[in-house]
Amino acid sequence: MPNPYIPMLTKIKSIISENEVRDIKTIELEFQKEEDYKAFDYIPGQFAEISIIGKGECPIGIASSPTEEGTIKFTIKKMGTVTSSFHNSDIGDTIGVRGPLGNGWPMEELKGQNIVVIGGGFAFSTLRSLVLYVLDDNHRKDYGDITVIYGNRDSGEVLYRDVLEEWEKRDDINVVLTIDREEEGWTRKVGFVAAIVKEVAPSPDNAVAIICGPPIMIRTAVDELVKIGWKDEKILNSLEMRMKCGIGKCGRCNIGEKFVCIDGPVFSLAELKKMPNEY
Amino acid sequence: MVEKILKKDDIGKLYSELEKEYKFYAPTKVKGNIAFKHILNAEEIELDYLNSKVPPKDVLFPQKETIFEYRYEGKEVIIEERKDLDDKLLIFGVRPCDAYSFKLLEDFFASGDFQDDIFLKKRENATIIGIGCNSPRQSCFCTSVGGHPFQKESTDVFLSDLGDTYLVEAISEKGKELVKKLSWLADAKKADMEKSKELAKLAEDSFTTKFNFDLVTKVLDENFEHPVWQEISESCIGCSSCTFLCPTCTCFDVIDENDEYNNRGRRIRIWDTCQSCLYTLETSGHNPRPAKIQRCRNRIMHKFSYYPSNYDCLGCVGCGRCITACPVNNELRLIIDKILEIQEKSGEKVSA
Repeated sequence: MPNPYIPMLTKIKSIISENEVRDIKTIELEFQKEEDYKAFDYIPGQFAEISIIGKGECPIGIASSPTEEGTIKFTIKKMGTVTSSFHNSDIGDTIGVRGPLGNGWPMEELKGQNIVVIGGGFAFSTLRSLVLYVLDDNHRKDYGDITVIYGNRDSGEVLYRDVLEEWEKRDDINVVLTIDREEEGWTRKVGFVAAIVKEVAPSPDNAVAIICGPPIMIRTAVDELVKIGWKDEKILNSLEMRMKCGIGKCGRCNIGEKFVCIDGPVFSLAELKKMPNEY
Repeated sequence: MVEKILKKDDIGKLYSELEKEYKFYAPTKVKGNIAFKHILNAEEIELDYLNSKVPPKDVLFPQKETIFEYRYEGKEVIIEERKDLDDKLLIFGVRPCDAYSFKLLEDFFASGDFQDDIFLKKRENATIIGIGCNSPRQSCFCTSVGGHPFQKESTDVFLSDLGDTYLVEAISEKGKELVKKLSWLADAKKADMEKSKELAKLAEDSFTTKFNFDLVTKVLDENFEHPVWQEISESCIGCSSCTFLCPTCTCFDVIDENDEYNNRGRRIRIWDTCQSCLYTLETSGHNPRPAKIQRCRNRIMHKFSYYPSNYDCLGCVGCGRCITACPVNNELRLIIDKILEIQEKSGEKVSA
């Protein structure tokens, strides 16, 4: 068993600035060793501990889909010391990666069901991964209808414009984009995510809701789903917590007896209701 | 296996024989307190002590330790793994509660899909010489958590202090090998064994602190939101002594320490504590446990509720360090009493 604290080494292959205010970037990483890339066998919804060695490490959801072969991607908002260092990095810089970590979205259980993806802000990264995975030619037949509701404060904050445009062109996915307030030139929906969920009213029949976003968005969107008959077991959330090790040892991401890093980050609303409100 | 007798005067001989093969750790005096340290001279070994201030946990899981070292060559990073994890360690004079903590730590670090290689390698290479407690402290409560002042199971060799001599019992295979090497030890007599048993009984009878932890766990599980937590946390000043001195606490922070002039550095881990508000503070400013009440509750719940559910045992060895260390006397015995009072009060209501 190799030391789980030793990162695999990658290099930055590309950097994309995702939003207008330029505090969110997606970095694409290429593994230095082929065997490390092969060992990094992940599903959508998992995360990794990524580090600039000498600056520090932080847990970030994997934004790429396993179907996008060759590299992995992480979308990082500039917040603290480590994330700021990522923003100051250049192509070719060495990045440490430990992972994949966490349970991820239950891709096997989702098979045969309709999927309603509800996301807000930059928490859309693992949702990007999931949708790309489901839309892949090898997987599309395994899943039912797909609805994506994605909300942002304003049009400048919408991430992954290239893939969103692709999805909008397809007839096997319903993409609903919304921003909080009217804006000139914006032709999609306007309103908070919860209001759009109410309007779209996705059917709970044979369906699973996958939700990721700021806490207030999650709460209000979940309320709308429950009102139209969704069961707690069919509503899945991905949680965030402060973490250091990502492997259940450093202690801090516990919610009651569960660790977000190894028991999560994906929990159903039914599971969350049994846990203390400490997240 | 025949039990042996070690004269206290021969501790120096034992040390000089074993220190060639092992990194020899033993209790010694550091700034007026007992601590387990790497011994470089037999005279440093302190034999007359109740227990160390900081548990011997820190031999295997030190307050600060290197995870790996790194150096930069241009944009390339070279990672250097630790090479000292295969050193053979000997920890002499470990009290049964602390020896049992090694088992809890080992089970925890080995649990789940990811094993803590750093701790486990050191544990595997460590030999534990335990020693019975003739006079448990007033704050000791190992008998309430399934332990005993003469519990031998988690040690490799077990000593009983018979006055001028120690009764030496080899417990594990590792221990038997070690005792075999000390061929000069005299065989113990039946009377020595009898005396050890007597001492064990006397020690057991001297305990004043006793808890029914089965009941504690049950009450905790049912009373997460109980107002008693407000009362329990009121006097806590968040100093974290209880967690830093706990032989079963395992939380750590991870930091990169750089030696900028030499383009190198090391990633280290250092003890952290759930009693600090920074422990869970997220970069966004959000904090899942922002108040003392939540942090005090988390410590107690972790030891006596989460540990039983996750690992089927209590996360406490009854050493009493958190009791003696608390500067505001908000100590575990009082906390447990308050928790058990919930049950008593609700019982009264039912019967009334």
